[in-house]
Amino acid sequence: MGTLHYLWIGLSHIFTPQDLIVLVAGLLVGMAVSVMPGLGLVMGVVLALPFTYRMPIEPSIILLTAIYVSGTYAGCFTAILYRIPGEPMDVPLLWDGYSMAQKGQPAKALGWALVAALTGGLFSSAVMVALAVPMSRVALSFGPPDYFAAVFFGLTTVVALAGTSLVNAFISLFVGLLVATVGVDPIYGAYRFTFDSPILENGVPYVMVLVGMYGLGEVFNRLSQGLKLHGEPRSDTRVKTDFPSWRELWLIRKTLARSSVLGTLLGIVPGAGATVTSFVSYGIEKQYGERRQLLGTGLPEGIVAPQVGSTASVAGHMIPLLTLGIPGSGATAVILAAFLLHGVQPGPMLFTDPGSKAVVYTILASLFVGVIGMCVMGFFWIRVIVKVLRIPQGVLSAIVVLFCIVGAYANRNSVSDVWVIVVFGVLGYAFDKLRFPISPMVLGAILGPLAENSYMQTMISYHNDWTVFFREGLSGTLMVLSLLAMGYPLARHYLEKRRRARPPAPRAAARTDPA
Amino acid sequence: MSAVKSRTRLIAGLFALALAPAIAAAQGYPSRPINFIVPWGPGGGADLLARTASKLMEPMLGVSLPVINVPGATGQVGLTKLISGPNDGYNIEVMTGDTYSLFGAPHPRFKLSQITPLAIMIRQPSAFYVKEDAPWKNWKELLAAAKTKTLKVATTGFGSPDDITVTYFRGLGYHFETVPYAKPGERYTSILGGHADVLYEQTGDVRSYVDNKQMRPVVIFYPHELNVGPFKGVPATGDMGIHISLPQLRTVIVKAGTSPAIVKKLSEALAKVAQTPEYKEYLASQYADPDSYMPAAEAHKWMADWLVKAHKIQAESAHKGLNK
Repeated sequence: MGTLHYLWIGLSHIFTPQDLIVLVAGLLVGMAVSVMPGLGLVMGVVLALPFTYRMPIEPSIILLTAIYVSGTYAGCFTAILYRIPGEPMDVPLLWDGYSMAQKGQPAKALGWALVAALTGGLFSSAVMVALAVPMSRVALSFGPPDYFAAVFFGLTTVVALAGTSLVNAFISLFVGLLVATVGVDPIYGAYRFTFDSPILENGVPYVMVLVGMYGLGEVFNRLSQGLKLHGEPRSDTRVKTDFPSWRELWLIRKTLARSSVLGTLLGIVPGAGATVTSFVSYGIEKQYGERRQLLGTGLPEGIVAPQVGSTASVAGHMIPLLTLGIPGSGATAVILAAFLLHGVQPGPMLFTDPGSKAVVYTILASLFVGVIGMCVMGFFWIRVIVKVLRIPQGVLSAIVVLFCIVGAYANRNSVSDVWVIVVFGVLGYAFDKLRFPISPMVLGAILGPLAENSYMQTMISYHNDWTVFFREGLSGTLMVLSLLAMGYPLARHYLEKRRRARPPAPRAAARTDPA
Repeated sequence: MSAVKSRTRLIAGLFALALAPAIAAAQGYPSRPINFIVPWGPGGGADLLARTASKLMEPMLGVSLPVINVPGATGQVGLTKLISGPNDGYNIEVMTGDTYSLFGAPHPRFKLSQITPLAIMIRQPSAFYVKEDAPWKNWKELLAAAKTKTLKVATTGFGSPDDITVTYFRGLGYHFETVPYAKPGERYTSILGGHADVLYEQTGDVRSYVDNKQMRPVVIFYPHELNVGPFKGVPATGDMGIHISLPQLRTVIVKAGTSPAIVKKLSEALAKVAQTPEYKEYLASQYADPDSYMPAAEAHKWMADWLVKAHKIQAESAHKGLNK
């Protein structure tokens, strides 16, 4: 009852002009950046951060979460209609979504995506609201060992789910952790990797890593490709959305349920971003779905599963962020930065203080309104939004670079930070060329300091006894889960290696999906 | 409502920007936002001071003073940020007694010659708090418990007055142990969640938890009993003949070598801040010394004395031979 009461108060806050304008603006920005191939939702959130400096806390967070949630949705339009995945998470939509559009049903494909985003978004938002208060109580019992175990779990899952090469994922993660150690150590004040340089003594804030790797890195990448647009949207394309019938929906009820639960759960685990969730949802559908043999030929399940998964992960991610202060993805790390800028430390205390409780519930309520809002806007305004694809890539890249530099400078009013993002931009470009995944590195830079701090606190309060991580229920469970998360891909890697060592007899049907 | 206010502020800022060249000719400073560094996480005493002072200084200086939280290593991470930056007056910092006491350590990384204090803004006593339903009813019971088992004390970090106090009692044979939590939120959670047994904190910082009956003070490190609010009836160390009270001090500092004109301008703004009713109200809400404010000239001596005292307490604990 208390929860619903607060949610009601939150809803009434959203419909004040200030919050509503910010919400709509955020949804539009999120759609625009996710439609454009050069810009991702993380960049959208990062670029919007400086604009929140002068806002009160409530609209700041609403703006960023709105960009985040609509950023998981709008990319489906370009993926389905023009075969342009606006974001990596939209890649699974190419297989069934684009195929369905090619079969002459683009409107239907868009309808499926809309229903999926709506279902996933609303389901996970409801779970988030229901879990927030109980989770904040559990969070209170999170001591340093449990906190470390949770962050460790996040670090291992990001490696496990990074796809491609396990070794590269580990290298990427450790580079991120290394970057996070630069500066003054948080417990004893030792100088690490500073080389007497004032820039390094200040450490490297993760926002700089994000701006550099995702923003500038992507621009460098596009420059090297000659800034060509992959497919000019034909102006004669009739962009329409057709809803599926109730009967059709009933037929895929299992997919909807499966992906909603999976998306929310993966969201709660720090480390698995919307992209990972989207791929995993599709993968599960391919393994366990009723019509798995036909997947990839234009089935609604193939559109619904990844779309539900990516949108559902947003609200899932908000749970550890708000209750524990652990950001599980690039976008939530930026939202955490916005909280801190306004003097609010997310954590269990957020739910005990009546003042901050109102703010939290406004944010939770904004996700409900945001999910519905983005679907409505997607339905009516998509024609306008898709026009951003007409912006020449060169102009777009210039705008991105401009925003990156302004964002880097504005964060601490420091010119050296502009150089820092250039370094990470080059590194991001190199990572991409050398096929190192970027997300483990970024997560390493974000979660590394959290892990170090809680690890040291544990070591100090338990007299360097590392078995404490495995002795207590909460931390023990999380540690075992982390070891499983790490062991599974290792085992798979080993088995595959052995299978490859043998003559290639049983591998008749090669995997068709690039996941 | 606050959006309107911030918009007017923005417009005022733009005007100031347009007028900047004219002012620059006259005074030059400040012409752009001044970073207000807080070497702790949000939600603690230093953070509250910076946010209160920044709001009051904005109209006086005509620029915004964004608060930047840089927690870690007993405030050294934030202090490093101040000292490694230029001494142009565009970075100011709240330095608390926690970091200041490191200046008196055997091999200090920082020297007083590296900073220029502008003013002491708040002085307030500290206390030991326990969870409301803790098994120890009072200070006597807590001490008795510390004789037989190790009690974890949540502090701001090593080398701080928190740590010095804990070490002092360890010297007396009580098994107290320092655990550093640089983020105030974490520190308070550690008590409420039962991860630490005792909290060393200033009188005002955990007021909401005390008022909500989640924590209670058991002893106050002060020359005499503090006769206000929840501290009525809480024993004071001074009355017990233990003279270890190191009142928390929070000063606003700039990097040494900042031009005297800028130092004067900032000091004057802080002096005006201390006179505002808003600031006095803030001090009262923190159960702080009502005469907390001290201009730079007096602050120097008071701070030097403070450091001597911290030194003495440390030497005393070491002398007892149990300080290991």
